[in-house]
Amino acid sequence: MTGLTLYGVANGLIQYLLTHLYGVLPHPYFAFLVNGAVVTGLSVLVFAAILLGASMINTIMLIWFERKLLGRFMDRRGAMHVGYAGLLQNFADGLKLFRKHTYKPHDADALGFYVAPTAYLVSSLLIFAILPASTGWGAGALPLSLLLALVVFSFAPLFIFLSAWSQANKYSLIGGMRSAAQMIAYEVPILLAVVAVVIVSGSFDLTTIVTMQQNYWYWIPLLLALVVFVTGMLAEMERIPFDLPEAEAELVEGWNTEYGGMLFAFFMLSDYLRALIGSFLVVLLFFGGWTMPGWVPGPLTSFPLEGLFWFLVKTYAVFGVFVWIRASLPRVRTDQLLRIGWMRMVPLALLSIVLAVGLVLIRCLPLLGCLPSLGG
Amino acid sequence: MWINMGPQHPMTHGLWNLRVRIDGELILDVDPEMGYLHRGIEKISEDRHYNEIITLMDRTCYVAGMAWETLFVLGAEQALHVTPPERAEWIRVLSEEIQRLGSHIMWYAAFVQDLGLMSPFLYGMRDRDLLLDLLQSYTGARMTYEYNRVGGVRNDLPSGFTDRARKVCDWLEDRFREYDALCLGSAIFHKRCDGLGVLKAADCVRLGVTGPMLRSAGVKRDLRKDRPYSAYDRVDFDVAVAEGGDVTGRYLVRMEEMRQSVRIVRQALDWLDRNPGPCLAENLPRWLGAPYAPVGREGYLLRRNYPKGLGFSAIEEPHGEALAYVVNEGVEHPYRVKLKSPIFVNLSAAKEYLVGYRVADIPPIMGSVDICVGEVDR
Repeated sequence: MTGLTLYGVANGLIQYLLTHLYGVLPHPYFAFLVNGAVVTGLSVLVFAAILLGASMINTIMLIWFERKLLGRFMDRRGAMHVGYAGLLQNFADGLKLFRKHTYKPHDADALGFYVAPTAYLVSSLLIFAILPASTGWGAGALPLSLLLALVVFSFAPLFIFLSAWSQANKYSLIGGMRSAAQMIAYEVPILLAVVAVVIVSGSFDLTTIVTMQQNYWYWIPLLLALVVFVTGMLAEMERIPFDLPEAEAELVEGWNTEYGGMLFAFFMLSDYLRALIGSFLVVLLFFGGWTMPGWVPGPLTSFPLEGLFWFLVKTYAVFGVFVWIRASLPRVRTDQLLRIGWMRMVPLALLSIVLAVGLVLIRCLPLLGCLPSLGG
Repeated sequence: MWINMGPQHPMTHGLWNLRVRIDGELILDVDPEMGYLHRGIEKISEDRHYNEIITLMDRTCYVAGMAWETLFVLGAEQALHVTPPERAEWIRVLSEEIQRLGSHIMWYAAFVQDLGLMSPFLYGMRDRDLLLDLLQSYTGARMTYEYNRVGGVRNDLPSGFTDRARKVCDWLEDRFREYDALCLGSAIFHKRCDGLGVLKAADCVRLGVTGPMLRSAGVKRDLRKDRPYSAYDRVDFDVAVAEGGDVTGRYLVRMEEMRQSVRIVRQALDWLDRNPGPCLAENLPRWLGAPYAPVGREGYLLRRNYPKGLGFSAIEEPHGEALAYVVNEGVEHPYRVKLKSPIFVNLSAAKEYLVGYRVADIPPIMGSVDICVGEVDR
């Protein structure tokens, strides 16, 4: 598996195609086709397209998964009619939104109104190029990939506030302010919880963090950090119980009140992209990424793309927990949310850092084994 | 900054407008605006036969149509000097309690939705369907029943009804535990609802607030006990009371009322099983006794020389105390019908229980008031 990377596949494909094209058109005029820069550029494009398609399809399946699971929690079936068990329902919904007229309120600021949803979607998609879904699925060896992913992840409040302000709508403005306050408040505990993981693994590279979990997954010693991280992610994803910015009961749709059609779909899609990213991060940081523990029988871990398979299984399981939380908890209030964030989550995250430092000092835990040395 | 919550807003549960002046998230002032759903029911009633008015009463409150039918029919019977048979009274008690259960479950569903709880909303709607099925099995309709008649009820219960109803009662009693687990068992629920939207007993009395809101403030007043009508003096139940007058208190009162309603339904079913008989008074004037009021010339020829009368009825509707005043001038349609809606009063007091809380508190507080705009505007 180590030799095969997604970029390698894309590169090989392009090289094969272009060489044959040049074979058909052997005029020197077409020599640029086999130029290294052109091949690389096209390979990157194909790589990006595959990644885009994969993340989009995954997100749409994630929405389907949530709808079905939520339906079961609510004693109903969820989408049933379009496709088998409603599998194509979200494609139908997307098409419907795509066909709809995009309406801009008269007083809304055009620049912010159109740019914000697009930027929100693009910034969310960008993270997929950073996160390694399995060995060879990342854009390459980024020594600070975790940090980069979190930085891009935290662009969101800016775009949300931009769109909220540009809509010239009071509900949107309140929702946008709530959203910005909430996301900024919860970024701190998330980063601190991540610091705990980084201390134990000794690296900001997600691939390294995953390989460092070969003896045991980090959620066992760093349970506290996991709790803080998941809670913070719930707030970042704006899901119940922390979905105040779009609390539909009081703020209609919160910061995306005035959006319809495709621009609304951008927001909706980005929300789920971010939910997917959140689940990815939880799996990568705490549940061993694409690796499985050694006691899992061999046939289960030795088939083509097994890393990707297990990674997605874990991701959907984590997301299932998010759905479970959504199905069973009421939402908290803004001031309570901020108080929980600053007064509870930050100290807990600091405590988890202390625990992580302790773990690094001890190095070996009873029953679990020792930390592998860095690079090993 | 003033913001309009309504008339088209997810918080309103109907067509009304709550204007809120806010400073950040803090509520400084509120101004409830009603009247968007005014259909002139009282005025239309003056031009209709008594049994035709019943269809209007169903539409007064769309989640508690049976209660409003009963209210009007009780007033009209008094005004027209008609006494219903005892079986009809028991059927009315049964219908009204089934309706109360339906209305309260509808409230539960809407209230938890306001809090952001999604599953219990669906659970509530699922369980309410069973009650609507029960009502449908003997009235033929799920929301607008047109079942009560001046002098009794339209038809008797179908065979096998009581067993079906008992099964539903068993099911519901199980579900109430589930409802409580999802709300009272959640720390976030207490964080959100304890001490929220407080309206003290003295303020309730001063403002005329009634129903679960009044009882949640610790005042033990229930017209079913204090001024019994129909067969309520013959059933055994407790008045649900809570302390504090906050959202949690209202929740507790309504949940307890649902349990008591199941108790009453069981008693009514037992009585109805034991005592068959007519359910519509005999010797009614023809324009009253006919299943549908006569129309055209014939109907007007039949009135004359009917004794005049005044009718006043007061019932404990699911939302509070509903009063009706019916003036009979000796013709086949009432001279005046006046209805007093409990929610209109409860809603008018909004300033007292909203100011000082946060914008995010508005949905749970207004949800705990249990709004049915149809009856507010009439």
